[in-house]
Amino acid sequence: MQNFEINSDQIDKIKKITAEEKSFRIKNLELFKATGFPNKRLEDWKFSDFENIVSRNFEELNIKKASSEINKIDLLKDFDHNHILLVNGNFHSSNFEHEEKSKIKISSCDKSIDYKISKNPLICLNHALAENGYSLEIDKNYKLNKVLVVYNIFTKDMKNKILNNKNKIKVNENAELHVIEYTVNESKSKFINNVYENISLEKNSKLKNISVQCNESDGFFHKFLKNKLSLNSDYSNLIFSSGLKFNKLDIECDLLEESCKCNILSALFLKKNEHQEIKTLINHLAPNCISNQKIKNVLSSESKGVYQGKIYVKDVAQKTNAYQLSKALLIDDNAEFNAKPELEIYADDVKCSHGSSSGNIDEESLHYLMTRGLNRNDSIKLLIKGFLNDVIEFIKNPKIKKFIESKLEKQINGR
Amino acid sequence: MLEIKNLQASINNKSILKGLNLVIKPGELHAIMGPNGSGKSTLANVLSGKNGYEISGELNFKGEDLKKISIEERAQKGIFLAFQYPLEIPGVNTNIFLKTSLNSIRKSKGEKELDTLAFLKLIKEKSSELGIDEKILSRQLNVGFSGGEKKKNEILQMKILDPSFSILDETDSGLDIDALKIIANGVNSSRNNKKSFLVITHYQRLLEYIKPDFVHVLSDGKIVKTGCGELAEELEKTGYKQLN
Repeated sequence: MQNFEINSDQIDKIKKITAEEKSFRIKNLELFKATGFPNKRLEDWKFSDFENIVSRNFEELNIKKASSEINKIDLLKDFDHNHILLVNGNFHSSNFEHEEKSKIKISSCDKSIDYKISKNPLICLNHALAENGYSLEIDKNYKLNKVLVVYNIFTKDMKNKILNNKNKIKVNENAELHVIEYTVNESKSKFINNVYENISLEKNSKLKNISVQCNESDGFFHKFLKNKLSLNSDYSNLIFSSGLKFNKLDIECDLLEESCKCNILSALFLKKNEHQEIKTLINHLAPNCISNQKIKNVLSSESKGVYQGKIYVKDVAQKTNAYQLSKALLIDDNAEFNAKPELEIYADDVKCSHGSSSGNIDEESLHYLMTRGLNRNDSIKLLIKGFLNDVIEFIKNPKIKKFIESKLEKQINGR
Repeated sequence: MLEIKNLQASINNKSILKGLNLVIKPGELHAIMGPNGSGKSTLANVLSGKNGYEISGELNFKGEDLKKISIEERAQKGIFLAFQYPLEIPGVNTNIFLKTSLNSIRKSKGEKELDTLAFLKLIKEKSSELGIDEKILSRQLNVGFSGGEKKKNEILQMKILDPSFSILDETDSGLDIDALKIIANGVNSSRNNKKSFLVITHYQRLLEYIKPDFVHVLSDGKIVKTGCGELAEELEKTGYKQLN
């Protein structure tokens, strides 16, 4: 690919901008320009050489704005829900028909600039250029009646675009929100979507997030998630995002106060040349918090799965209970799984464990199923579903569970 | 039903079955006994179609050459193997597995697939017939099952799939007397003049409850002695050593 150049006059084009914001953006742009796209020489990108991936897949890239218009969208009929529509990352509209509207604040993009300097060049790029996205706040004591589906739609005219978006979710004291992030892809060409998401959970609040794809996509996705958890708050993120060319989810959770819960679970089925990385950093900064990570990957053909998971326990964070497990099922000799678990513990009264395993389909189990009349292919499918099942079991709402199951089943059947 | 002539089987260049002959007619129940390592489980595996064995000799089932038939087709044609060590399949619900299994067999026979309601009715009927607690069927397949529950589950599968030829590979080992009776009852209630059984066992104990038409002694890959039910009692007294 020819050099990807961004001039600082791009930032001049941004309307209604304060001097501070401008200098924040320019500083971040300089940081990005100093390194360019991250490559494998950076420890965090060791298994996902983004520079190389970009140069192999794109002849050129541009940061021109993508359309935020859409003619028609088929909303899900599987269960009642509220929705937010994002078109090419831009906030389009929202509908909270099942809720007390006064309890919910929604707007486009968050303008705050109180971000620390990041070592991740893609975050710098996002800070420099992101203009759109959504910002959602749930009022104190309000528990949403229905789930919120965030439709993340990419339209046809996305060729060679790199989109930078910023989202923010704040769940106030005693409030509760369930979100399904649903990516719908209409683009037939390759593009990059680079998202920064800022999530804060106040005292006793709860956020459950599920991410899933409607269909396959030629998009290359990077998302950095920064979660801040206050006293007794409960965060969970279930990741079912299969069918993407490239996807890196970089999740950082700060457990700031006592008795927080953080769950990160993933059930992925990757095929062809799909490459997906989940990177986590769970910062236990206060006593009595629980974190639980379970990453399950099924890898077929020439796919690649990566899990880099780190648990950090600060000296004051006594009685921490942190658990981390990654398991890969490789159904093709050319598939690859890389896992890098890390524990950094400075407190002495904690329970931390980590484990990682990868293996092939068990031939003995296959034989057992086949002696019951199932052919090899159906037996393999059954074993794959069984392998991923315990993540699905985490979903309590039967309609949503069925919906996710059918999505996953479609991915497995299409292998 | 089943005709085995001069069957030789080896795995990793180790010869295990060395010229085995056996004929089982419809309605017959044959028991195979023999010391450890004589090839009993290999015979069961070979009949089920397990990969990894080098096989020669004749292996005919209802007039067809079994060697040419895949594992799942054997099941669809009516061969059932109750495993010595049933496998644990995490994440797979026992009921859903049984339904998939039954329907794939029904489909291959050109029969209508059972819907969930009809299937549950069948399960209820068969499990109460056997005195099996239905609750285990809503759990993951064999996961966390006790040894006895696993074996009972095998017999329940046999009842549901209704095969014409069942092989029981040491289904009795490790069972208490009550479980043993359940297993025996499962076999006895299925016996008729069309169905055949091959019961592999170490001990004569099971044969007190299941009366075999023939008892064979397998030693070093061959059948060295054949008799009726009394042979088993005799073996119990003398042991296998006398035969060599």
